[in-house]
Amino acid sequence: MENSLDQCIKCAECTVYCPVLKATDSYPGPKKAGPDGERLRLKDRVFFEDNLKMCLNCKRCEVVCPSGVKIADIIQRARHRHGRPIPGIRDMMLASTDLTGSLAVPFSGIINPVLKNGAVRAVLDCTLGIDRHCTLPEYAQETFESIFKKRFSRQQQSYPRKVNYFHGCYVNYNYPQLGSDFVKLMNALGFGVSLIRDERCCGVPLMSNGMFKQATRNAESNVNVLSGTEGPVIATSSTCLFTMRDEYPAVLGVDNSSIRERLTLAVKFIYESVSSGKVRLAFREGWKARAAYHVPCHMERLGWGIFTLELLGMIPGLELMELDSNCCGMAGTYGFKKENYGLSQQIGSALFSQISGRNPDFVICECETCKWQIEMSTGYKVLNPVSLLAEALDLKKTAKLNQPALP
Amino acid sequence: MYDVEQYDVIVIGGGITGLGTARDCALRGLKVLLVERDDIASGASGRNHGLLHSGARYAVNDPESARECIRENKILKKIAPHCIEKTGGLFITLPEDEDEGYGLEYQKIFIDACKTSGIDAEAIDPVDALRMEPSVNPALMGAVKVPDGAVDPFKLCSANMYDALLHGTTILPYTEVTSVIREGCSVTGIETRNTHTGERASYRASVTVNAAGIWGHGIARMAGVKIEMCPTKGSLLIFAHRLNNVVINRCRKSSDGDILVPGDTVSVIGTTSTGISYDECDELKVTAEEVCTLMREGARLCPSITHTRVLRAYAGVRPLIKSAEDATGRNISRGIVCLDHSERDGLEGFITITGGKLMTYRLMAEIATDAVCRKLGVPATCKTHRAMLSDPLVPRHSESATDELICECERVTFDDVKWAVNHLGVQNLEDLRRRTRLGMGTCQGTKCIARAAEALARAKGNPEETRELIRRFVEERWKGMTSVGWGDSLREMEYMQKIWKGRYAETAEK
Amino acid sequence: MMKFDTIIIGGGLAGMHTACRLQKSGQRTVVISKGISLHKPDFSEYRSLGGRILMGDSVIRGEFEGGNILAVYTENLGQNRLEADNFILASGKFLSGGLVADMEQIYEPLFGLDVEYDRDRNHWFAPFDEHQGFMSFGVKADELSRPFLNGRIIINLYAAGEILAGVDPTETDSVGKILAHTEAIADRILGNA
Repeated sequence: MENSLDQCIKCAECTVYCPVLKATDSYPGPKKAGPDGERLRLKDRVFFEDNLKMCLNCKRCEVVCPSGVKIADIIQRARHRHGRPIPGIRDMMLASTDLTGSLAVPFSGIINPVLKNGAVRAVLDCTLGIDRHCTLPEYAQETFESIFKKRFSRQQQSYPRKVNYFHGCYVNYNYPQLGSDFVKLMNALGFGVSLIRDERCCGVPLMSNGMFKQATRNAESNVNVLSGTEGPVIATSSTCLFTMRDEYPAVLGVDNSSIRERLTLAVKFIYESVSSGKVRLAFREGWKARAAYHVPCHMERLGWGIFTLELLGMIPGLELMELDSNCCGMAGTYGFKKENYGLSQQIGSALFSQISGRNPDFVICECETCKWQIEMSTGYKVLNPVSLLAEALDLKKTAKLNQPALP
Repeated sequence: MYDVEQYDVIVIGGGITGLGTARDCALRGLKVLLVERDDIASGASGRNHGLLHSGARYAVNDPESARECIRENKILKKIAPHCIEKTGGLFITLPEDEDEGYGLEYQKIFIDACKTSGIDAEAIDPVDALRMEPSVNPALMGAVKVPDGAVDPFKLCSANMYDALLHGTTILPYTEVTSVIREGCSVTGIETRNTHTGERASYRASVTVNAAGIWGHGIARMAGVKIEMCPTKGSLLIFAHRLNNVVINRCRKSSDGDILVPGDTVSVIGTTSTGISYDECDELKVTAEEVCTLMREGARLCPSITHTRVLRAYAGVRPLIKSAEDATGRNISRGIVCLDHSERDGLEGFITITGGKLMTYRLMAEIATDAVCRKLGVPATCKTHRAMLSDPLVPRHSESATDELICECERVTFDDVKWAVNHLGVQNLEDLRRRTRLGMGTCQGTKCIARAAEALARAKGNPEETRELIRRFVEERWKGMTSVGWGDSLREMEYMQKIWKGRYAETAEK
Repeated sequence: MMKFDTIIIGGGLAGMHTACRLQKSGQRTVVISKGISLHKPDFSEYRSLGGRILMGDSVIRGEFEGGNILAVYTENLGQNRLEADNFILASGKFLSGGLVADMEQIYEPLFGLDVEYDRDRNHWFAPFDEHQGFMSFGVKADELSRPFLNGRIIINLYAAGEILAGVDPTETDSVGKILAHTEAIADRILGNA
């Protein structure tokens, strides 16, 4: 057990920056729920409060803490240790992205229009508690894994350098386009891509719905499978990456030391490859755009936003605005729930108004749930930096620059 | 002239012994006055481990104390459950103990001695000991399970005070005895001075009980009799959070830093034992050497203390009676001493009760009260071994939606403050701390002190007082932190300086 | 690898003040800040000038050569080398981790710079409202604010703000002094002085 709660000097900066506390006073706030509460819980578990589940686990408290207290970890571990989730069908459905996704994709042609239907949404609101104002993410016609097998897998063998891609549930079931963009981009940079055999959901929706046991099972399986791979393991989603890299050991107690150093995010991997001279980029001529960069919470916690800023800063035709650091309020599946919808919108409001004030062509962000929330709440299109890069690069020229030198 | 009030008995000293005696006297129908020069529990009663002894610690060398302890242990668990945590205790044997003759053979002697004194002691496997208390030194070779526990000394004092008040006792804190009134060969009362207002008064009683702990030496002198005491300082350290849930002791001869007690939200390591002069009793300092000793020895009980923040250091003085030549006081009898000065010195109406320990306070009170009743010719018998102690506190952590949270570390609310002011004789923030734990947490009041002072002044109906309340409290907290000024505690101290230095005036204006 | 003109360690009063000044003067700078300073600096101006902030990150080591500091590495950026011509150390006193005290000693945790402090703990503390010895401890520096490492000056590293020996933030005029001092450092880096 680490003693990070002792480092707290009670300055309460975490309380000032907590997005939940800004929107409601029914949450005790990171200081009271975290280090203060932990001292009391060490004395007696009766001090565990159910409202700890209101923590979005956005980790902003940890980023601003001048004392290095792992505040959100303390809260999540307490939920793990003391909480007794009795998830209803809705939470199970929102949490089990693997299961729902694999059931829905074959019927996406029917499900997508149905989910858009106002009457259906009203029914979901009343029966399951999924807020009627929410646009649930559409399911893809075909999973990314199946697209990859058909269109990409064969040619990957021809690249001497290899990376492993952890696509995550979102790319697989909802937005395979991002996966395809990633494969094309990596190929142009001279890397062959392998998918991970038996990839499971990273576990973040399970954790946020209190299903820590299932999350731990996923974590153990992923660590086990990934330790059988070689070379970098790259994710396009900052949340999947953050969860596997930092939350597995800190919250779930799953030892990931065998793979942790190899886990990375696409933007970081590409930036490092470029800055060390291992790969070169050729941009499309005459391409121009104005984009606003929203640093997702977990990207903020990783401290890796600077890689995206520096990498996208290389694009000649891009005017990039860095938005103030704010939480979008979605936090996984939190914002879909009827009881949280209003709060979630309130939390995100500062971000939304800044985006519409800047009026960019699109918003850049590494997190899929931020994407849902921002697209749903502002109408602006949200792109992963990987997709933006794939669009701004002259992929053919880039591929030529990165062709392995003939022996 | 002053008003002169007549009582059956005057008790001098608002520590646990005095409070217990006042309560016992009141339960036997006597009209009682208790005077205390500071706040209740401000001396040794509030400056100890808070260990609910099973008696095992004394079993080998002082079987009489051991028997007293286990008897009182069982009684307190029954009459004061709200002051007690039944944690259980471990006496561990470490590899290095073997070289000093305290190996596993000694463990057998120890267990036998416990059993002889009626203490439930059972050797358990080191693996089971680690399961029972994961923070215990994993190098242990053996462990004995005993019925030790934790007792909250502040709650215990408050409870005795509250119960005595409910039974008609008059309690005057911040009232110092300036002289003991003698008429011929009898003590007939005391003269006092209020330490806040300077107001003087005098009180009369048939019997006066000197229960002033180490300061009882001076009270006796005022009465014209002499008692030889041996002031022995014991220093302790408080850790920032609860490290262990079971009391951890060393199974060997008693020594420095060999008990780690969990109490409420913290753990306490102690003690040291050093003889000091009477003059030093009012300004106790914990030295750097004592801190080092406690950290070093403590790490043998529980290795993780090395990386744990130490909140503060404090010391108390044991009121031991001189009996043998021993500079450390470690081997001096901790037994109860009740002196009827008429037998000893030919002085009527004066009794001194001293020695003993927090653990045996009830028995001490019973012995003193028996002596008082004998003198007064009152036939009433003791009831304190079965009469439940009233719970003096509104349930802690009672934070309701409408209640305002004052101390976030220890979760003390405005309702708690109000209750303590109205029912528990709270006058300043230190008193409030002793009743509610306010300001005892991680930040030592840095964060909540303005809120607390304002709440206290509001509860007392005297808002102008805020500034003075803050000044006193900050200065008192600061003293206890300076001995442990390193690591995160030093960071907190810098924070405290930045926020509060020279700021009393501003706060008063806000 | 990332290259900057000046790297500022510490996002408090001294750090942000110099960072803004240098960024405004056309430098490319980055601030590495272990959490939010209690001075609650406003980052939006700095950000709008194109300044980079590594919030919640801390320097874990520096790379030195020939009396100069060449680069630093941080906890979050791992193997990425952060290079600069000049470095400013504005990591504060104990509270913000610029100095660390344990039971044996006081040290500067990032580079192990030479620290000036009283070895006798009895001189560290006084009654609360009096001058506290420990509030003036800090890194030793030359007249140009350059700290020492094992007795040798580091040519392109400047210590600014509370981390300096002799700067006591509880003194009434400390903020003004710190700001004037950081101005002088910025001037020196920009070649104005």
